[in-house]
Amino acid sequence: MPWELLDHQADIGLQATGETLEQALADGVRGMLSLMVDPDTVTHQVTWEVRASGNDPGSLFVDLLNSVLATKDIHNAFFHDIVIDAVEQIGDDWRVSCRLFGEPINLKRHEVDSDVKAATYGGLRVEHDERGWLLRCLLDL
Amino acid sequence: MTGKHITINRTDAYRFEIPKSGAMNVPARIYTDQAGIDELTGNAGEWSALQQLVNVACLPGIQKAALAMADIHPGYGFPIGGIGAFDPDDGVISVAGVGFDINCGVRTLRTMLTRDEIAGKEDRLADKLMEHVPAGLGSTGELRLNEQEINRVLEQGASYAVGLGYGTPDDLGFIESGGKLHGADPSKVSKTAKQRQIQQVGTLGSGNHYVEVQYVDEIFDQEAASAYGLQQGQVTIMLHTGSRALGHQIGTDYLKTLEQASKTYNIPILERELVCAPINSPEGRDYYSAVMAGANCAFANRQVLTHLIREAFEDALGTPAEDIETLYEIAHNTVKFEDHDVDGAMKNLLVHRKGATRAFGPGRPEIPPRYMHIGQPVLVGGTMGTSSYILRGTDYGMDETFGSALHGAGRAMSRRAARKQYPAKSVVHRMKQLGITVRAHGKHAISEESPGAYKDIEAVINAMHGSGIVQKVARLKPLVCLKG
Repeated sequence: MPWELLDHQADIGLQATGETLEQALADGVRGMLSLMVDPDTVTHQVTWEVRASGNDPGSLFVDLLNSVLATKDIHNAFFHDIVIDAVEQIGDDWRVSCRLFGEPINLKRHEVDSDVKAATYGGLRVEHDERGWLLRCLLDL
Repeated sequence: MTGKHITINRTDAYRFEIPKSGAMNVPARIYTDQAGIDELTGNAGEWSALQQLVNVACLPGIQKAALAMADIHPGYGFPIGGIGAFDPDDGVISVAGVGFDINCGVRTLRTMLTRDEIAGKEDRLADKLMEHVPAGLGSTGELRLNEQEINRVLEQGASYAVGLGYGTPDDLGFIESGGKLHGADPSKVSKTAKQRQIQQVGTLGSGNHYVEVQYVDEIFDQEAASAYGLQQGQVTIMLHTGSRALGHQIGTDYLKTLEQASKTYNIPILERELVCAPINSPEGRDYYSAVMAGANCAFANRQVLTHLIREAFEDALGTPAEDIETLYEIAHNTVKFEDHDVDGAMKNLLVHRKGATRAFGPGRPEIPPRYMHIGQPVLVGGTMGTSSYILRGTDYGMDETFGSALHGAGRAMSRRAARKQYPAKSVVHRMKQLGITVRAHGKHAISEESPGAYKDIEAVINAMHGSGIVQKVARLKPLVCLKG
């Protein structure tokens, strides 16, 4: 499983893995989106560009998740999928740019689940070895 | 750092202490019963509430002790049910001490109705609440504000909503801090935060946010109940929500600011989510001004929702709006400057309450005059199938916990486990057998918020009452529950 949800008494843990950082970031976003609505019920009508930054891969991951949440609220939209276009690193300045594919929320058609308030640094973990990347954080529900 | 090897001493029937050791600047104290401690130590896995409390005790400038109430459970950074008070000169301000849902809180409304008067009309009332109160992920409010108007919400809080015709000025006198915190600066709140809020003013949200119609099941303290305007069998309403997306974005923005500040000011951090800034630093002052703005947004949100609840009652039962009064509103994700006794002298402190409420004892000037001789009402939300409580603050609580108490039952089970163990259909059926009508927007909300997913509210309340920090006034039982 490229992403997995982890038990926590109050909120929920999110863990994503990938051969590349781009894959792990994308699957982390997919895992978070799955909490809110079934992505298969969301069509690709609109594309939104999203950027995020951090001072290491962990804070980059958290900022990307939070940027996706902000895009959801500002455009009142759900997303079907994400594509990571680029991850750049200059020293300890990490940046990611991506595109979200989705549509405006339609409560007659979209069966909503839990909203995610924020991605946090709680339980933040980053592992990187020859097999790839593991990213983990706690989502505030 | 799993919390498995933490020493805990029982110092009183309902008071436990983790002695100061290692990097701790103060001891840590937990107000609960032995079963509560056994549960905490038994659950000391990766997400340990005890370890989180010890980490808070290590923060610079913390006063007296890091505190936790009987509803303590793991959070992020601070445990939920956690309190930390800091010296303004050498202390810190922390995002985790407030949380992302800034000023999330509870308002209780008392009605002129009795339980008998709404018997048989619960379904109609539930349907009208669903119709009038925007709730659940993706719902939007009827009030659309531009950025300039959002700025006024952030400065004026609940009074801005009253000015627009949502509720009455009488409501304001019964909201913590009058529904408006001073020191709010909208310029310290990002454009993204304001944009996220444009469609969310006057919305309930999801997760554990709810509107619940209740009745007074039992009165424990007649004098206090009379002062609070409560009688047995009376219908009350409890509203639980917060600052919505604007508050979430303030937390997100300042998590980054305070992470940098922790490095700039060489503050030792035991968990990354505990990032903080000196209270008297530009970063700390900016965050405080933004939090005050976020808090005012939550006050305004609950004020708008109070109006919508009154509309739903009028629509469903013909109840006039003036027959539904605000008993009190308190918040449980806050940071505020307050005067407290430290070693015999009054001192102005910055008090963080994460999943904990203010619970001031009699005589404090912050309490509405009508309640001042009794102490502040403390509103404790339970679950859709058990009880909620109204308590009162005490002098002992002022000395022990900076006038703070618990905020709810406290979760005992993860949301995923609750989904598996409590299918929604069987929960709704069980609630119906108990005479409780439930409605929900989120497809797993009923399972996740099932009574079995929470601690036993009776045990939690008895521990807090037994500790003397708060005293029981009335128990409320649910009749109709609307979940986000």
